[in-house]
Amino acid sequence: MIKCVVWDIDNTLLTGVYLESGAELPAADPRLACVLRELAGRGILSALASRNPPAAADYVQQLTSADFAAVECGWGSKADAIARIAGELSLATDTIAFVDDDMLERAEVGATLPDVLVLTPEEAAEAPGWPEFSPAVITAEARRRSQLYAERRRRQAAANEFGGSRDDFLRHAGTQLTIAPAVPEDLPRLHELSVRTHQLNSAGEPVTQADFASLLASPRDAVITVRLADDFGDDGLVGAAIMTGNGAGSGPDARVPAPVLVVTVPLIMMSCRALGRGALDALLAWLCRAAAADGAAELRVPCLVTERNVPMRLALAAAGLRADRGSVASDGRAIFARLLTGELPALADWVTAP
Amino acid sequence: MLAQVTGRPELLGVPADTPLFGAGVGLDSLAGTLLLRQVQRRYGVDVAAEDLNLDSLATLGTLAAFIAARRVFHDPGELCTLQHA
Repeated sequence: MIKCVVWDIDNTLLTGVYLESGAELPAADPRLACVLRELAGRGILSALASRNPPAAADYVQQLTSADFAAVECGWGSKADAIARIAGELSLATDTIAFVDDDMLERAEVGATLPDVLVLTPEEAAEAPGWPEFSPAVITAEARRRSQLYAERRRRQAAANEFGGSRDDFLRHAGTQLTIAPAVPEDLPRLHELSVRTHQLNSAGEPVTQADFASLLASPRDAVITVRLADDFGDDGLVGAAIMTGNGAGSGPDARVPAPVLVVTVPLIMMSCRALGRGALDALLAWLCRAAAADGAAELRVPCLVTERNVPMRLALAAAGLRADRGSVASDGRAIFARLLTGELPALADWVTAP
Repeated sequence: MLAQVTGRPELLGVPADTPLFGAGVGLDSLAGTLLLRQVQRRYGVDVAAEDLNLDSLATLGTLAAFIAARRVFHDPGELCTLQHA
């Protein structure tokens, strides 16, 4: 039973960033403004936790006419802000929901305060229909979604209690990661992922279902899907990559131009719910191995370099890929590459792959 | 900081030249990004913006050196603390 929802401001309640908007301040997100009113009508409190000056909170209050029961505008961690709000309102953390567009803020709060219901803005828009928010009518779909979040919280709590390494926990939790070529039934979900993934997305732009369908049909390209499940629940299709072969590259001896097989990965994407569960590492390791097995000498991953997709760059670095500073193109993409000789990244034993 | 973001207190004693990626510490994208954020908050150095390949994350030692080279320390004792942080 949720008694208070703690909201982030930038790119959550507001459609932009308060401090970066200059004279024209961002508008309130209309769906979430509705949710604020709806929750208030049910006696559920709302609070703010934001890295902004207090004026931002006043602005949001004014825009939405909402009454915020607590406001934490400061520069520390969101988890601390939520803990302070809980204290101020005398609420237990398992009666609190937290909404933030930033995957890392959500991950940090989820890890520090596993009882808090952590939601993306999209989820928050639907959440008033879930049992935890005491709606008048609860649909089957709403019940299922709220069950998914309960599974996530249990997994997080177990991870926090577990004493060993991340990989030990993943094994202990019965993690099953399945890598397989995409089939036509996957197309809607693939398109959805390409739209929704931001921080774990190398290309930074959506791919239409029609484009995915062409890739499925093309002999030069492969679309690879990743599915993730464990003892706590099944998350289904969480990520994918596109592989394209037959690019020409320069071999190790550049004076003798030999047509060397280079495999390029124009897109890697992963749902943020797969973060911290070894999925991206497994996909990259598999891509290296599959390309090598096809006789390729080099794997290339063009990747947009922004502050939002640092987790993607970390995964690329961990898999041994490096970019030449000079390779950053005008569109902001750098080409991360590695040779496929020598030791390739290991595939965890819970991965099932072709 | 490393022990805090990974939730593993045993990492407090890890030697500076232990690789961060791979079997020893096994830093993944999530823990890695949280670590970089802490570094930015605490030392004001945005490693991700300045290091395209994130080579500075090879070991704790290389990371400390990267930060030290970019930050003005007001107190010489802080550099020592950084290396053991």
